[in-house]
Amino acid sequence: MKSKIGKIALIVIPIIAAIFALYPSYNYSQLESKRAEYLQRASQAANPADSLAIMNEFKKNYGQEYQSAKENSLQLGLDLKGGMYVTMEVDVVKLLRETAQKEAIDETFDRVLEATEKESQTSDESVVDIFARKFNEIAKPEGKSLISYFDLGDISNATEEGILEELTNNADGAINQAQEVIRQRIDKYGVSEPNIQKQGSRRILLELPGVTDESQIRSLLETTARLEFKLVRSNAALVQSFQKIDNMLAEKQGNKPISANATQTDSAKVTEQEVPAPSPSTEISSTEAADENKDVVEVADTNDTQEETKKDTTNPYEGLSETDAQNLYASKHPFTRMFATFWVGDNKNGQMQPVSYDISSFPQQGNYYFRIHEDSLAKLKIMLTDPKIKSLLPFDTELAFQAKSEATESEKITGQFLDFYGLKSEPELTGDVIIDAGKNVDPTTNSWVVNMSMNSDGSEKWASITGANVGKRIAIVLDGNVYSAPNVNSKISGGSSQISGMANAKEASLLEIVLKAGALKAPVKIIEEKVVGASLGDDSIASGINSTLFAFGLVVLFMMLYYSRAGLVADISLLINILVIFTILASLGGTLSLPGIAGIVLTLGMAVDANILIFERVREELNKGRSIRSAIDEGFSKAMSAIFDSNITTFMTGLILYYVGTGLIRGFALTLMIGILSTLFTAIMVSRSLIELQLSDGKNPSFSFGQSKNS
Amino acid sequence: MQFFDKTNIDFVAKRKILLTVSLSTIVFGLILAFVFPPKFGIDFTGGTEVGIKFEKTMSTSELRTAVSEIGFESSEIKTFGAEGSFLIRIADSDNAPELLKSGLNNKFADNPHVVLKVDKIGPKIGNEMRSQAFLAILFSAIVILLYLAFRFEFSFGLAALVALVHDIMVTFLIVIIFQKTGIFSLEIDQTILAAMLTVVGYSINDTVIIFDRVRENRDLMKGKSLVSIFNRSINETLSRSVNTTLTTEIVLLVLLFFGGPTLEGFAFTMFVGFIVGTYSSIFIATPFALWYFNNVKKIDVGENDMKTATA
Repeated sequence: MKSKIGKIALIVIPIIAAIFALYPSYNYSQLESKRAEYLQRASQAANPADSLAIMNEFKKNYGQEYQSAKENSLQLGLDLKGGMYVTMEVDVVKLLRETAQKEAIDETFDRVLEATEKESQTSDESVVDIFARKFNEIAKPEGKSLISYFDLGDISNATEEGILEELTNNADGAINQAQEVIRQRIDKYGVSEPNIQKQGSRRILLELPGVTDESQIRSLLETTARLEFKLVRSNAALVQSFQKIDNMLAEKQGNKPISANATQTDSAKVTEQEVPAPSPSTEISSTEAADENKDVVEVADTNDTQEETKKDTTNPYEGLSETDAQNLYASKHPFTRMFATFWVGDNKNGQMQPVSYDISSFPQQGNYYFRIHEDSLAKLKIMLTDPKIKSLLPFDTELAFQAKSEATESEKITGQFLDFYGLKSEPELTGDVIIDAGKNVDPTTNSWVVNMSMNSDGSEKWASITGANVGKRIAIVLDGNVYSAPNVNSKISGGSSQISGMANAKEASLLEIVLKAGALKAPVKIIEEKVVGASLGDDSIASGINSTLFAFGLVVLFMMLYYSRAGLVADISLLINILVIFTILASLGGTLSLPGIAGIVLTLGMAVDANILIFERVREELNKGRSIRSAIDEGFSKAMSAIFDSNITTFMTGLILYYVGTGLIRGFALTLMIGILSTLFTAIMVSRSLIELQLSDGKNPSFSFGQSKNS
Repeated sequence: MQFFDKTNIDFVAKRKILLTVSLSTIVFGLILAFVFPPKFGIDFTGGTEVGIKFEKTMSTSELRTAVSEIGFESSEIKTFGAEGSFLIRIADSDNAPELLKSGLNNKFADNPHVVLKVDKIGPKIGNEMRSQAFLAILFSAIVILLYLAFRFEFSFGLAALVALVHDIMVTFLIVIIFQKTGIFSLEIDQTILAAMLTVVGYSINDTVIIFDRVRENRDLMKGKSLVSIFNRSINETLSRSVNTTLTTEIVLLVLLFFGGPTLEGFAFTMFVGFIVGTYSSIFIATPFALWYFNNVKKIDVGENDMKTATA
């Protein structure tokens, strides 16, 4: 009876697998409704701080479970859950105009661009190629040369081919920086689970669930970003002002103990997790300067990365347990307990030291570093909008936060730590002076560096800025986000600078993208947008589920009527088939969209085809007078080649649809292909097992294929 | 239950009449397509379309007047699924959907609406879609021809391809003819394209099953004429062809009537295409294979009138 066990396993295993694969989806929908409850409560809360606390409570109670359920559950497409879908493209024509020398642009050049624009509207060809052709057609006969319009800095590149190549590179670079800027903005706008990806060399696809306000998103996406260099003012004055804010809030809280309760929950996250010290190792130096001070500071002492609260063991905390001490510290420092503060002396090899806000005087020299967990960020930002708190910050100083990078797998659970800085409000320099930027490996230290060069106007200003701020930090700010705050090693004259101390290639290329944003103004435009309202999505889900169930019922009924007991077997394997399709879809991390549902419904109809082929064949064999057992063997084996060939051809069509198609069509093609594979499995293996399990009982087996009795 | 019990219909002999039917449908459809060009969805043409649902019902003409008063004179309006839901296609401009929404809010202050969907598609995307569609169909045809030539023989692959071209044309033309009647929402868009490609797969599927039987019967029926082998094969697979088409068509009818407005065109195209696909496997692919054997490979197929059959 060994084979019997195997047959049962063939039926039971897919069902168990389905339960495992689909449980997260079920769990997710449960948690989602719980989350909606919390959101409801949060929106009714009296003030933003309280509603944040409510959401943090949800995060604390269900956060991890919610996150993992979400990641493993079957996602619904935008057409089902509602949201906005945008395709953006780099406006290469605009880019060409901006890259050209302003004083050289004349009427001929405008005509070339106009013709390029017109053709690029309907052509797939690279815009730079179209431009080159149009230039040859229109401008060449008038005796113009590309060299007269473009000055790309490097004289050795001053051939027409060189210029065209450079222009192509620019267009490619523009897409990367546009993607980075868009990612940050969408993140700040607060879209949950956005999907932002590059398509081809000049398009960005965005899927923004739940967004319905197109005009707001449009302005968010089409505004160009601003790159600025700002002086870092994370100094003693700033730390002192933080302390003042602490005192003010602590006093207020003393009068109103209720609000202390409301904010209790969100401090948990900060103090529970160790805040790793930042590594202030980025430096900026002239590429022409001597190499002696290039050695990058490593923050050596990891023991220092302890919580700020543990450090101070002076009087007020004596005799208290660790938790009590922490609570006391927290209540005394409602503002500064949200983040960690570190100090390092002017000496470059100095150690990072945690700063306690219990002390009354702070070291005037040296640099301060602030680091906050992303969960506390929202609360801090809300506090900073309070005019009373704002007024306590040093004059002409603003707080700016490190740009959030794409979360790694572990960061998705733990969250990210972000550095933040006090910056001088007025920028020292704006990014339009940058001519070019590029990452590189420094051969002497074997670490990643980013080189940047400026035009002559910028170089002059840069020399005086760096000259006045040696030993201080200058932040590179794009769109309000700090990407790097290197230390100025020496006065940089000549316009060529090098930023060293990148942790890895990824960090270096991000900085390169950001710096290039100054050089070219990444104009992107929306070429396609689709908005699906939530109500249409709900309707679609309802009609999708209804029609699937209805169609399933009809097919089941037909098969039972026509093929009798065999039909019932086909119906059971059809049910398992649907389970398998959903299981595969869920474990591939697939998205269920309306065309996807159509693909599944279609599979319903075609899945029975394989069974029909087999059953018809078995009937034929029975008619020839074979015994039931040999008829089944013959029927299955003879139907095999037809099933195989017909499904392979349909599968190929699906494959081609998947590769050639986009969006909607891909979803359909994917479910169609999954459907074919699972059909082959269930219609052949599962239904055969089911039939044979029934045959193996009793000595004189009978099994009806619904054949007419007289034959 | 059994619909067909040992049928012995001479399908091959009936090919002339049915070929005439197919050809006249194609000719009629082509004329119609040229006189009244088919309507393409914004997927292919580019443009802006807003789906709106009003709380209370409203006539299309009332809405049309309102929309043109708002400033979109050349708009097209059609109903979209449920009562009071409309699809409005308007001239493209930067914030056309917002203008329309605020305009409608002013006009019908007592009949609030919700936006079901907004589609804005640039002309370039539309163009790309068209070339994608063409490429997809071309690739499918080539790959299928190669596969069948490898699994069977070249003549079968060619016959399947001929049936396929027939299916695409007939289905497309029937869709265009029905577009004129306005019963279903049948603008040629991405979903109809996906449906056409599925029809391609299905049509081949059906043809392959008959050819698979022919391959088998040629060994079993040594000495019999090709015509009788083909006839026998069609008869033997008839039950399967009808049953599979039946179950699939049941499902598609359900999708057509209960799947919501977005899937209407999709379901209709497949509904037509699957019938055409089953038909062509029997009446186009098989006769073509016979004609090819007779006229190109000069094999006696066992019937004298083959020369005039599909010439």
